[in-house]
Amino acid sequence: MELSALASRGESLQIASGGATDVGMVRTNNEDSYQIVPALHLYVLADGMGGEAHGEVASSLAVETVVKHCLEGQENPSAPLNGEAKPGLSEKSRRLASAVHLANQKVFASAAQHAEQRGMGATLTAAWIDDMNLSVGHVGDSRVYLLRTGVLQQLTSDHSLVAEQVRRGILTASEAESSTMQNVLLRALGTQPQVEVDIEQVGLFPSDILLLCSDGLTRMVTEPEIAGALQSEPDAQKAAEKLVKLANEGGGVDNVTAIVVSLKPEPKGWFSWLRRGAHKSASGNGTAGGH
Amino acid sequence: MAKLSLMFENKLVKEVPIGSKPVRIGRSPDNDLVVDNLAVSNDHARVYFESGRLVVEDRGSLNGTFVNDLRVERATLHDGDSIWIGKHHIKVDSIGDAPLQYQSAKKANAPMINETMVLDTKVRREMLSQAAAMGERTQFAADRIKVPTIVVLSGKTDSKEYILTNKLTTIGKSAMATIKLKGWFKPPMAAQINQRDDGYYVGSGAKVPAVNGVAIPGPTRLNDGDLIEVAGIRLNFIVRE
Repeated sequence: MELSALASRGESLQIASGGATDVGMVRTNNEDSYQIVPALHLYVLADGMGGEAHGEVASSLAVETVVKHCLEGQENPSAPLNGEAKPGLSEKSRRLASAVHLANQKVFASAAQHAEQRGMGATLTAAWIDDMNLSVGHVGDSRVYLLRTGVLQQLTSDHSLVAEQVRRGILTASEAESSTMQNVLLRALGTQPQVEVDIEQVGLFPSDILLLCSDGLTRMVTEPEIAGALQSEPDAQKAAEKLVKLANEGGGVDNVTAIVVSLKPEPKGWFSWLRRGAHKSASGNGTAGGH
Repeated sequence: MAKLSLMFENKLVKEVPIGSKPVRIGRSPDNDLVVDNLAVSNDHARVYFESGRLVVEDRGSLNGTFVNDLRVERATLHDGDSIWIGKHHIKVDSIGDAPLQYQSAKKANAPMINETMVLDTKVRREMLSQAAAMGERTQFAADRIKVPTIVVLSGKTDSKEYILTNKLTTIGKSAMATIKLKGWFKPPMAAQINQRDDGYYVGSGAKVPAVNGVAIPGPTRLNDGDLIEVAGIRLNFIVRE
């Protein structure tokens, strides 16, 4: 649970977040991992795969690696970056890409060193809010959604076989939803020594709501239901819990994880306007303010 | 990317890509390439890359592994070679072009999934390594997917043309918008375009856009040549080769 303010560009935003995870109704262990880092406005989620307990090993290693690398980057912006840096990306986006590359290397190395972990892997989806800019780093079929003016929009592309077939016009979106091949991923952390990382940069608006989720949610709950739950439950923590509950009510065939981040404009009025002025001068360059 | 094609009496049984991990061949179902014949040992042979060369290694099988006509314990493979195991033979394709392999990898995956429920972690693990090898080829092939352009027909914007490379394109007066509107009384966020797997969808913001003269009832998929009108500007959605 997080509640903090972000003041910049004359806009003043409150960021609230909450996360929930559940093993689901069918599986015996939860291979999803997630972490919320309020100080950084960083949200990281991974869905592990691999027999016995190794899915958990992969997903928690991936999440921890990403969080640690971003924290290090925050303290020391000149800390070395992993993987090739694409031009035109913000500093946060480059750090996030680097963190995902590092997580891939760590999961791959661990699987190579421990015979029993052979074949383990994880999806990884991370969102980092800096000022009014969102950076998304992504590998696999977990997702980031943005709910804005009532429209639910997907900010990630699934790296699954069926999604690739839809992009190539081989399958329709509804055929993909009923495919038995939904579990086949084309990209995941830890299966190859190098991985291509998707980075997306999105400008945020007041009242935007972000959702990070594992496929255990999107397989069980339709997008209109997700949008409805996010709109009807203003509390981020309760919204995350509600989504997990909906997935379980829908059958809960997989582990399910949801992180909800809501941006809210601070109440208008001369008093908050004054406070905002004070806040700005206190933080100097006006880029961030954590409560 | 290299692949192996399991043949029986000149009919294709199954194809598997050869990735960074050895392809395990044998009769027991946990092999990458299962050859269902009593003449085949449970753990019969393996094919893998070693210092850039493709190698086949017999795993001490009862009836032996043959490359072309020669029984081998270990041999370097060349494009077009045949590995004979019992009455089956495996064609070696060490070159091949990407689109062809995309097709073949799909065929290779299909029977495994139909046979076994996806919750079986062992099968899922096998599929993952296979699919990852396939992903290696497809993940760098994004340029084959067409990227559309928005051309501004009328109205004041910060550019006349926008290439929709991002997942989300916002139209509005805000500094955060991709297509920036100029002039008085323009909303900060008038409308938005989301790239989904099956195409690009325009959705409402502070305004409800019209596509080809009709106000959209909800997020609406755009087609080549569509006219979008919102907040006093007219945009043309174009998909070029």
